[in-house]
Amino acid sequence: MLNVEQLTKKLPDGRALLDGISFRVSRGEFVGVLGASGAGKSLTLRCILGLTRADGGTATLQANDGQTFELTTCKGRCQREARRRMGVIFQGFNLVKRLRVIDNVMIGRLAQIHPLRSWLYGFTDAEAAEALEALRRVKMEKYADRTTGSLSGGEMQRVAIARAVFQKPSLYLADEPIASLDPSNSLAIMKLLQPLAKETPVLGVFHQPEMTARFCTRVIAIKHGKIVYDGNPGLSHAQLEDIYGDELMQVLRPAPAALTPEDVSAVSPFSGRIDESTGGLLAKQTT
Amino acid sequence: MSATGLPLPALGYVPPSAMFRRRTAIIAGVVAFITAAGVYLNFKPWMLFTDFHHLVRLADEMVPPNVALLWTKTALYQSVAETVAMAFLGTLVGGTVAFALAFVAAKNTTPHPWLRHVARLGFGLERATPNFVVLLILFIAFGFGPYAAMIALAIGSVGMFGKLFADAIEQIDPGPCEAVASVGANPFQVIRYAVIPQVLPSVVANGFYAFDVNMRAAIALGVYGGGGIGFELQLAMKVLRYPDVLALILLVIVLITGMERVSDLIRRSLLRSDTLK
Amino acid sequence: MSSPTAYLHRRTGALLPRRLRKPLLAFFVLGTLIAVSARLCKVDLSEFFPGLLKGVEVLRFFFPPDWSSLQEMLVPALVTVLLAAVATPLGVVLSFFFGLAGARNLSPPWLRSTARTLIGVERALPEIIVLLLLVAALGVGPFPGVIALAIGSVGMLGKLFADAIEELDAKVLESVGSVGATRSQIIRFAVLPEVMPALLSNSIFRFEVNIRASVLLGAVGAGGIGFELQKAMALLEYERAMMAVLVTLLLVFGAERVSDFLRRRVLDGGKLA
Repeated sequence: MLNVEQLTKKLPDGRALLDGISFRVSRGEFVGVLGASGAGKSLTLRCILGLTRADGGTATLQANDGQTFELTTCKGRCQREARRRMGVIFQGFNLVKRLRVIDNVMIGRLAQIHPLRSWLYGFTDAEAAEALEALRRVKMEKYADRTTGSLSGGEMQRVAIARAVFQKPSLYLADEPIASLDPSNSLAIMKLLQPLAKETPVLGVFHQPEMTARFCTRVIAIKHGKIVYDGNPGLSHAQLEDIYGDELMQVLRPAPAALTPEDVSAVSPFSGRIDESTGGLLAKQTT
Repeated sequence: MSATGLPLPALGYVPPSAMFRRRTAIIAGVVAFITAAGVYLNFKPWMLFTDFHHLVRLADEMVPPNVALLWTKTALYQSVAETVAMAFLGTLVGGTVAFALAFVAAKNTTPHPWLRHVARLGFGLERATPNFVVLLILFIAFGFGPYAAMIALAIGSVGMFGKLFADAIEQIDPGPCEAVASVGANPFQVIRYAVIPQVLPSVVANGFYAFDVNMRAAIALGVYGGGGIGFELQLAMKVLRYPDVLALILLVIVLITGMERVSDLIRRSLLRSDTLK
Repeated sequence: MSSPTAYLHRRTGALLPRRLRKPLLAFFVLGTLIAVSARLCKVDLSEFFPGLLKGVEVLRFFFPPDWSSLQEMLVPALVTVLLAAVATPLGVVLSFFFGLAGARNLSPPWLRSTARTLIGVERALPEIIVLLLLVAALGVGPFPGVIALAIGSVGMLGKLFADAIEELDAKVLESVGSVGATRSQIIRFAVLPEVMPALLSNSIFRFEVNIRASVLLGAVGAGGIGFELQKAMALLEYERAMMAVLVTLLLVFGAERVSDFLRRRVLDGGKLA
């Protein structure tokens, strides 16, 4: 369970990037955080994780094993223990490309093994078997021995989720997990996250209101560093306008961005992977 | 084929225990080889501890460095200038010859494929011959001192940069060459107007790199008797004046780092002012 | 416009077309540098051709190479290779630590600048000086030679490793850190795997360089074929020296081939996953 109170972050000139952010995430919830670019949603997540230091406020994590961590003031050992109990999924997947898929999953439990052991012999076969189970959950078990760099974006994100699952965390954090994915992969990822949330709460930052409306149990909206909405995932058009302002058109009907190689291969006659659901031409959602 | 090259067991992946065994075997093999080689060479790594006091004694004799040398021995400045001059002329002469020969050694500009192989072989032979052999021969021909060293550096540059320049020439876009040839230019004009402009940035960059390398080589050759700072250094060592040695070493460090900065600056300003005709 | 050009403009404006001014200045500067350098190097052009002829004359003494001495050259050649073979892994391990210390994304600023400075200083020192110092302290033998080669590797490899580590995607390092890993674990599981191809490739290249260096250092007392060569030249046994040169050529060529082959395999496939 996560309890964030009055989180603040200021720029050197005094302007507030985060201004008194407060919310709770409890068991069973799938919380989606929405907001315009620069509103402060990713920053909130980074402050919770300790990747950026907040200027004020608290973020308390109550782990499943009963321990409590004050995330904004935690440093060193304490911060590592706290991070061990949080499974993070990033927008860019951020996996070690030269390692195998199963190695990337096993990295999830690095905090739970002694550094000396990780240098000497790494992981045990039993841990590898559990990692395979995690891969099974995201339907990637056939890729266990593949080099991670050879995977597509959607596949890599699923491996990232497997890593988080393997960690057995008390909370999942997702920083725009589907922003770099095409619509069909985005759907697959959301469909994976939803059942996960039932056992362990998920706090995700998203840029796609239609996704949060469909999959999340609760939505928080941030505007100019302040929370302007906290409740039901179904937001009206007026509410969305209020949150996004000018960006609304971009968010709801994304402009076709430059086609990536993945987009092209999806429609290329040679790859045989034409995505019918989007009419044959994919447009990547941009943040 | 699995990602690791090992056969895939029924699990679908190579388990950590197998990976560990493989990794340990490789590391053990390497360590065994090195130990065996060390034993054969009579290399005693524990000497680092048993004979450490010798190093301390040497350091003790070298410190404090005789920095006063800088203003008492004015001949030093001539030595420094000599070293720089050696490197400069060696790079210039060697680079020019290398540049000319590179055209013979490049696939797309060579007058005859046989000549190309001869040229490439020549470069390789020069690179493989130890520097000091060339130097010793040149000492016999021209006497001791910077003249022979400079020529040795020039020859060394031909070996090293002939290859680099030839590779650069081989990598140019044939388009402009065809274009120039199509208006009726002779081969030399094609080179002047189509090849050289494309190759010039790489040549200039390599030229500066060559100067850096030759600066270090000039000092090393000086130690063998070629003059300049290197010569002063080995002289100081011979007469056991270790404070002088340390002072000269510091001078060498300052000189090389300084030259690196200067050549970096010149290179950047050349690129900016675009004097590439 | 820089002032020399402006000065030239004023003085020669009527005489020279615009186009020639900058190149002319460059020419002038270059010419002066050449003249000064030539003077310093005691270049005597009148001596050049006679000297060249004398050199060619001398070359006559080197042929035919003394094939009978080939047997005696083999063991020193092996020694030269082994010196490089022992020194290179030591140098690689040492350079790896320097590389870690010299990387902006892993190391506190004070450590980084210290490491980078030490690497720079080492790069500026020709190996021969390091060897001479070690020999002065410890006497001749394989130990100073190996240490000199190993330390000499730090200059090149340390910088390459530090640069390679700095170029790593910070997000990947952050990501591994986000599971709660310690810094050494991040190094083991994120830095090492990503940097391994560069590590291997550069180390193999350095081995090749170290073989050449081993020959050079051998001449100053480290042993091996360099020592044989130097001995032969000192005794004026030029045919024998030529044999030593031939063996060296073979050695260096061989090392180059092997190094190229291994490096291509590493960069393409990745021998050790």
